[in-house]
Amino acid sequence: MARLANLETEYPVLDSTVRNFCASHGIFSVEDFLIHDLYMLAAFAEQNDSSERLKEGIAQVLSIIDDMHQPWLNGMELLEDAKRNKHVFPTGIQGIDLLLGDGIRVGQLTELVGPSSSGKTQVCLRTASNVARNHMVLYLDTGNSFSPQCIAYFLGKTISPSSAQAKNQFLQKVMSNISCHSVFDIFAMFDVLHQLESYLRCQDGRGCCQMRLLIVDSISSLISPVLGSSSTLGRALMTSAGYLLKKLAHQHNLAVLIINHTVGGEGGSSKPALGDSWKCIPHSRLFLSCDRGSNTYNVSILRHPSMASVKAARFVI
Amino acid sequence: MEIWRLPISASQRGKLISAGYTSLSSLSSISSSDLARELKVSESEAMNILKVASHSRGSETSNASCSIVEGAQSAWDMLHDEESLMHITTSSADLDNILGGGIHCKEVTEIGGVPGIGKTQLGIQVAVNVQIPNDFGGLGGKAIYIDTEGSFMVERAFQIAEACIEDMSEYNRFLRKDFQECKIKMLPQDILENIFYFRICSYTEQIALINYLDKFLSEHKDVKVIVVDSVTFHFRQDFDDMALRTRVLSGMALKLMNLAKRFSLAVVLLNQVTTKHTEASFQLALALGDSWSHTCTNRIVLYWNGNERYAYIDKSPSLRSASAAYSVTARGIRNSSSSCKRIKMM
Repeated sequence: MARLANLETEYPVLDSTVRNFCASHGIFSVEDFLIHDLYMLAAFAEQNDSSERLKEGIAQVLSIIDDMHQPWLNGMELLEDAKRNKHVFPTGIQGIDLLLGDGIRVGQLTELVGPSSSGKTQVCLRTASNVARNHMVLYLDTGNSFSPQCIAYFLGKTISPSSAQAKNQFLQKVMSNISCHSVFDIFAMFDVLHQLESYLRCQDGRGCCQMRLLIVDSISSLISPVLGSSSTLGRALMTSAGYLLKKLAHQHNLAVLIINHTVGGEGGSSKPALGDSWKCIPHSRLFLSCDRGSNTYNVSILRHPSMASVKAARFVI
Repeated sequence: MEIWRLPISASQRGKLISAGYTSLSSLSSISSSDLARELKVSESEAMNILKVASHSRGSETSNASCSIVEGAQSAWDMLHDEESLMHITTSSADLDNILGGGIHCKEVTEIGGVPGIGKTQLGIQVAVNVQIPNDFGGLGGKAIYIDTEGSFMVERAFQIAEACIEDMSEYNRFLRKDFQECKIKMLPQDILENIFYFRICSYTEQIALINYLDKFLSEHKDVKVIVVDSVTFHFRQDFDDMALRTRVLSGMALKLMNLAKRFSLAVVLLNQVTTKHTEASFQLALALGDSWSHTCTNRIVLYWNGNERYAYIDKSPSLRSASAAYSVTARGIRNSSSSCKRIKMM
């Protein structure tokens, strides 16, 4: 939100008298306006000499603020939007798809939590290879664990045996839909997400192959170096990242899949990392674990908007 | 985009916010001298802040038509790049087999085990093997060895280097029977010369060195492996603030990942073990906790099985879990079966 000084060119009513009055109350920008007591301000303006101009100025700032919020939607519009845009993408893993009722939902942030080596990256790779058949996928990798060989392997399993050339062409077509980018700190991730936002804004007009899946592997590696120090910046960055991802998911019809790790909780059990502030941010949370002996994986729902959270399933990759 | 998402220092951020600049658009029309005056900082600092802000803003408006974001690669291109990536052999064919050819470049591999299992031996072997010339299937690169425990023995490295060269000449003689004259020009001293050794005595030195490696690697582009032996040592004793430890370790891991990716080298981290108390039983697990176990790309656990040493792949994005036996001989790491005297080179 802009400083009042910068707004003068656009709104000449916010001249120096108004600004000096506001500055005397510690208001320098539109944002400061919001956190101030407007009745008190109006009362002070009344007592001032040029009260008319001050009131005009205040009214102008309030109208600027009014323009800034998202448009109101009613229930029917939301339902329309959900039916038309918010599809469900199967992950390609039967156990998980059955558990989630067909797959991960567009417009929602789905989190995979689990201890080390519990199959989280594998689930993401599998989902990416499944969605890439028809849509574009962006994979943000923080641990250099994106494995094109795994993707080729998963795609190879799904295609019926045919000539090597046809298989090659299929692989090329699908794998060109997956873009992988390495990010190694949270500011780089914000950079990438903003570039993505402008890309998606242009994309919404086009009808061709669109980006529908964003995977962040893993968001906890990016947030851990900044979270927990005496300053609150880390937590602010974390919640801001969460909101940005949810905004991208909802406004541009993406399904967002993120990976989190676990830390030790009470009594030796593991709990998801990033703490309680992060707990409410993803729409769905799935807990994965691995049975080393039998090489099968367990998944259970920690949180989901429409499924009961005691359900669990097993799957094999 | 908000000011506090910019990578600037906390004091600069505080000054910007208290002066009323909370978003990038508010910085768009101001000159650096005005900004310097308002924030009461030097003009060069103000110019820096504006540069960072305009860079972030620039990335908002530009979008290349070929890729979604700059720097992204499609999976198809990466598949072909991967096929041309070389691996660093461990000199034990069984171990190389389960590793898919050897230690991968562009990835961070963590190797952990009980004391005496051969971690340092493996580290030295990798630092020597990375220098195997391209003709013999190696990378022909140099190595960085970061020693935190003081367990690097130069005499042992010399021994292993000698054995490596002998194996190379034997391979040469075996395969290239026509070129009798072709002798290996390498000497063990050359191999030792190409290992850059750093001795670290505290965790701050460790972090400082990792930060410095960026500059070092830009000057020495032929370094192909970084071995840290061990990454745990300075973080175990006397570290009171666990939250600080987690932050520092995650930051360090990300920097190493960045180096591995940018300079296409392999990073090998050696770790110690600790006991974990789970459901009334004690289990051996790698040290540094759950957050650290999440940060590496691959993890190999070394353990004893009877009288033999085994390596087990605990975590890998592309390799199956498998274990293989190896042994530590006078010549370095070799296969455990004593019948196999000749080393298989790629």
